[in-house]
Amino acid sequence: MRILLVEDELRLAENIVAALRETGLVVDHAADGEDGAHLAEQGVYDAIILDLMLPGKSGQEILRDLRRRQMNTPVLILTAQEGTASIIELLNAGADDYLSKPFDLGELIARVKALIRRGKGVSNSKLTVADVEVDTIHQTVTRNGEPIDLSPTEYRILEYLIHRPRAVVSKRELLEHLYDFAWEHHSNVVEAHISNLRRKLNAVGDEPLIATLRHRGYRLTGDSRRE
Amino acid sequence: MNKGEISITRRLVVTVLALEFLSALVLICAVTVHEYDVELRGFDANLTGTARMIMGSVEDADDADDNVVLDLHNTPLERDAFYRVEVDHGKVLGSSGDRNAIAEVLSKSAGFHQIMIGHRKYRFTVLHDVRVVDPGLPTGGVRHNVTIVYGRPVGRVWHEVFEAIRFFIIATALLLGITAIMIAMLIRRYLSPVYQLADAANRVNGVNWQFDAPESAKQTKELRPLARALEAALARVQLSFEQQKRFTSDAAHELKTDVAIVKSSLQLLSMRKRTVDEYSQGLALSLDDFTRLETTVEKLLTLARLEQPVMARDGVVAPGCSMKKIIEEAVHQSMAFGQLKEIEVGVELAENADVPLDRRDALLLCSNILVNGLQHSNHGGKVWLSLARMDGDIVLTCRDWGEGISEEDRPYLFDPFYRSDLSRSRKSGGTGLGLSICRAICTRVGGSIDIENHPDGGALVTVILPVFRSVPISK
Repeated sequence: MRILLVEDELRLAENIVAALRETGLVVDHAADGEDGAHLAEQGVYDAIILDLMLPGKSGQEILRDLRRRQMNTPVLILTAQEGTASIIELLNAGADDYLSKPFDLGELIARVKALIRRGKGVSNSKLTVADVEVDTIHQTVTRNGEPIDLSPTEYRILEYLIHRPRAVVSKRELLEHLYDFAWEHHSNVVEAHISNLRRKLNAVGDEPLIATLRHRGYRLTGDSRRE
Repeated sequence: MNKGEISITRRLVVTVLALEFLSALVLICAVTVHEYDVELRGFDANLTGTARMIMGSVEDADDADDNVVLDLHNTPLERDAFYRVEVDHGKVLGSSGDRNAIAEVLSKSAGFHQIMIGHRKYRFTVLHDVRVVDPGLPTGGVRHNVTIVYGRPVGRVWHEVFEAIRFFIIATALLLGITAIMIAMLIRRYLSPVYQLADAANRVNGVNWQFDAPESAKQTKELRPLARALEAALARVQLSFEQQKRFTSDAAHELKTDVAIVKSSLQLLSMRKRTVDEYSQGLALSLDDFTRLETTVEKLLTLARLEQPVMARDGVVAPGCSMKKIIEEAVHQSMAFGQLKEIEVGVELAENADVPLDRRDALLLCSNILVNGLQHSNHGGKVWLSLARMDGDIVLTCRDWGEGISEEDRPYLFDPFYRSDLSRSRKSGGTGLGLSICRAICTRVGGSIDIENHPDGGALVTVILPVFRSVPISK
């Protein structure tokens, strides 16, 4: 899952980025409003964390322009401003959630994850497809109750696919959502990770879970159930 | 009603009524005098007429001596009238009333006389005439000198006068009453703009600052200055109130952000178990973040202290301090920062003077200006400080060769927490309070500070401070 953080306080941004990365999310950071708006409009993010007081373009403007372009990426607002009036205004303008500074880092992460799930039409943090269960909080994967040890990237691929059951996910989409801009894009990296993931999943079960559709991408097979 | 309270309405009513009462009094007096005069003439005419009638009643007695007699049968006399008829000096034909008093009048010449008889004042007329008996005789008849005294109490005149002026008195009293009511009503009506103005002013509170003086007050010549003064005063108060509000909200924003950074640093560190190296690195970063919070708090407190009015504490006047020394100290302090950016700092101290500033504040002012210049200079640039005198003031200028200031930022540069977009994100490490603190220091002692673009590029900060004059310590 890929997150965009737009925050001009560098130290705060560093901390948030580090924390989000530690929980397995991919994060891009923009330090001013114009960069932030530009990145947000790429449409590759699963959620956006937006500060309000930004140089260049304010958070409100970024949000407004985003919604005007019919982009439905979930947005969480970080605000140090007082008053409920501005919160109501923000929620009405299309924000999905807000946190006031100083906030709790754990709460921020939980809210971002909840926003991602909601954005994909899921409400539970535990996702199941066939006999595979993914716990998005603890980032653990089990098949038939047997824990499977995955690398962070393999986990992210599985998590992303399980959020989009039966849909064909292209290599490009996977790249966009799994890596930030600092990463060199090589599509064979994805292929290598997918093959490792298949091998690890098949070690405990027999049914192949990830189908490859030539030139189109990947698809999770089997019924997905959300508990 | 409070004791000592002054009511314009009451004063006006009392004044108008008093004036009206006085003029009525004068008028009544004049009328009385005039009326008395008229009545007295009538009275006198009446006396003279009656006296003549009495004279007519002196008739021939038809005797041998050609005497005369008094026959008053056809002459009705007032009951309270006194009279006496004498013929030929001593012979009394008839009389009534106090003889002695009448005798006293008799000795007087002809005309009108007033005397007191008992407790009453009487007015008499004395009439001398000659009565000729048998004027048809060749001898020409017998001549009798007749003297008639006739008088009545003069109180009757006053009675008539009072009758006549009673009307005036009643009319005046009525007029006074009507005037009192009318004037009270009218004054209340005329003063209604005052109450409307007060009402409008009353509606102003901390939330609703809108104050428009009512039209009625603006159209009243006497109230216009008050209405305008109120509007202007409220506008000023509103401005400073809003500035204060903005400052508070900005300060809260700033503090919350700094706290958020410290908190997130510590939470990040405690998210999972880390190595000793990671911990010590994280703690060092957290300490930096905390220092930043501390700096913000410190600057806020400094600004709050500087915005307090200067208090001369028990006659102790802060000693002035030498600007030259302070500038040298400021340059020394920021040397490291200047060397880091390889900026040349030039100092030209043509003049020196003591300024009426606390040493600490003076140093804060100079180093803030210098550091500001250094921050806005390019790598390898130049900052130039100079001290000069102008019209008895001391002028400190700081020039840099950086990017200068934009015209749209200029009005706000000294506002607390204002950062031009370029330096907003605190990359430069400023809190946005440095220039506000400088301005507070300058205005506190009656000086000024201004920033403009130098025609040859870069910014020019000009500080004007009064020169310190030692004031003898008074007990």
